[in-house]
Amino acid sequence: MSTKATDRRAKIEAAAPKGRGGANKIVVATIVAVLAIAAIVTGVIVADQGKKADLTAGGSSLPKNVSAMGAGLVVNPSAPSNVPTLDLWEDFQCPACASFEGAFGKQVNDMAKANEVKLVVHVLSFLDKNLGNDSSNRAANAAFCAADQDRFLEYHETTFANQPEQEGTGYTDAQLKSFAQTAGITGAGLDTWQKCYDAREHNQYVESVQTQSAKDGVNGTPTLKLNGQAVQLQGLTPQSFADQVKAATQ
Amino acid sequence: MSVLADRKGPGSGSLLRRPRTLDIVGLLARVALGGVMLVAGVLKVTKPEVSARAVQAYQLLPFDLATYVGYGLPILEVVLGLLLVAGLFTRASAALAGVLLVAFIIGIASAWARGLSIDCGCFGEGGTIDPSATRYLEEILRDVGLVLCAAWLVIRPRTAYSLERTLFA
Repeated sequence: MSTKATDRRAKIEAAAPKGRGGANKIVVATIVAVLAIAAIVTGVIVADQGKKADLTAGGSSLPKNVSAMGAGLVVNPSAPSNVPTLDLWEDFQCPACASFEGAFGKQVNDMAKANEVKLVVHVLSFLDKNLGNDSSNRAANAAFCAADQDRFLEYHETTFANQPEQEGTGYTDAQLKSFAQTAGITGAGLDTWQKCYDAREHNQYVESVQTQSAKDGVNGTPTLKLNGQAVQLQGLTPQSFADQVKAATQ
Repeated sequence: MSVLADRKGPGSGSLLRRPRTLDIVGLLARVALGGVMLVAGVLKVTKPEVSARAVQAYQLLPFDLATYVGYGLPILEVVLGLLLVAGLFTRASAALAGVLLVAFIIGIASAWARGLSIDCGCFGEGGTIDPSATRYLEEILRDVGLVLCAAWLVIRPRTAYSLERTLFA
């Protein structure tokens, strides 16, 4: 009897699919691979669409003293050709940029005003993605609306002077407007600024500067370049900075 | 008899060579490799643009390709991390993770050799940092350790408490 029962069990087992009821490895592998590829492709497409939406939002007009999409704003276009070009990359939410502005901002502005350097400012907005807000982008838009009224440097200075202590707090629209007033934009000028800001007239330009800087390998702020050569910020003093500018002047 | 024969299996007498011990070592390698992959992926997966910038900062791939790699990499890391932690298709997942890690080591070493000062962007952030803040050696050593885990799992994918053992019994 018992032998018969064993035989029957053996027959049933032999008839059952191999792996004694375990899942089919090839089927599971196929499902996992298809799901993984679908997840990656979907993720890439969603991110790409989001980026494209960012790049095409707002207006496409260039601010005053900007020659092309992706190019920096020339603070003093009247600079003679023998003075060195000082390129400056900053993000309005970057604490190290605010420190730099605190220590060297006045010196840089004075150099530009005296036409000792040709100052080109590249306003970046990548910190928005790190911090999960949109304050760098809005502040950049606000600054270029101020640039249209020849108040870029003043706006730039005011914004850094009022940077929130906690990185990531960002700027409110009301704050950005008050910075415009502090920068000397009043009356009808303030209405023009507000219209420009609300419409994000220069937003595509702001995005183009961000893209261009990444292509140029500028991935951190603040970055300073004197005639294209990076200026080391570590150990920089007002004196050594002035010496470097003098050495680069022809 | 058969019970006795089992006990006298290969390496009996040496605790370190018992299959059970080796399964536990495999488990540790699997959880270490999978855990790091999973954490690295999760930290980046919600910020694809930050990840894209981190890949661009290496200046190795063409700009647009670097962007797409940056978008896709965190998702791949999450997938491999989940498979490894669960112990499903351990050998294939470990092999893929190993290839990724070797690519990361090459990237970091190349950034170091070219004098770039960037964060590896392994767990988010990335991009240019102060030259004094770079940690290339640490980053490479960590990845070498993980490659060793991957190598173990490719050579001996059998591990304790793996989903594949339960699922494909």
